Amino acid sequence: MALLAEGKMPERYQRNFGTVGIAGQIRLLKSKVAVVGAGGLGGTVIELLARLGVGQLRIIDGDTFAVHNLNRQLMSTEHNIGVNKAYAAASRVEVINCDVQAEAIPCMLDEGNAEKLLKGVDVVVDALDNVSTRLLVNRVTKQYGIPLIYAAIAGFTGQVMTIMPGDNGLERIYRQTNAPNQGVETMLGNPAGTPALAASLQVQEVVKVITGIGEPLRNKLLYFDTEMNVFEILTVT
Amino acid sequence: MVIEVRLYATLRRYRPSIPNGVFTADIPDGISVAELVEKLEIDPAEIHMIMVNGIGREMDGILADGDRIGLFPAVGGG
Repeated sequence: MALLAEGKMPERYQRNFGTVGIAGQIRLLKSKVAVVGAGGLGGTVIELLARLGVGQLRIIDGDTFAVHNLNRQLMSTEHNIGVNKAYAAASRVEVINCDVQAEAIPCMLDEGNAEKLLKGVDVVVDALDNVSTRLLVNRVTKQYGIPLIYAAIAGFTGQVMTIMPGDNGLERIYRQTNAPNQGVETMLGNPAGTPALAASLQVQEVVKVITGIGEPLRNKLLYFDTEMNVFEILTVT
Repeated sequence: MVIEVRLYATLRRYRPSIPNGVFTADIPDGISVAELVEKLEIDPAEIHMIMVNGIGREMDGILADGDRIGLFPAVGGG
């Protein structure tokens, strides 16, 4: 941070210079991001945010790694099966970037803890795997005016959107879901590239929201289906 | 009137002869998305998001000649 204050980019962030820049890097390092879920989406989001130099990461996940996670979840290894995902992710952050403080919250986000865990962070990343908790996160981030970076995946498809305070949010995306708490991912599963792609797009959104660079996917749902080479921006207001 | 239908992900299985799920349909004037879905014999419970010309719409939305209708299943994985 001392070098940045002098207008110099530390070596480890040199390759951020042409995009994030000095001012953006300072903002990233001063930011606190909550990542809800440390599985397929969350694992890649956490890895990339740590490398970017987001100063504080709150990692929320009560689940433990299972063998069937190994095909896609970046934080899972053959050595940490049975280990809590939030703890494993925080350990990974420690060895990537000592500028980043990672706080592991080894429990599921729910009605009872959501406000406490999300209040006060600068950005929330939705890396969940079910609709009901997504809608809970959407409600709490709206209540506290926190930007929410949403993504969901199934098979070769995924969708990403940024919900800023005051925007219509996930109620526009999930309004027609009645009972099911999950989508067609229960049928299609998730191959390795899909969560990595959606998570990378989420990370770009985090950077844009924190640094003010570019144009976030606000009221726009980026939908991709790599099986058929479809990338579409859909208007969701 | 003629419209373009785009089926996404698992909904493409309703038209197995069309791998990309994109086809045109000649339908009566002024019908709704729900009526179109019925004509296409797609289970409406599987349709989660509806886009007409790239903008979110409801099942009761009335279609016009030349519209491009995208039908999406629920996506919720992470």
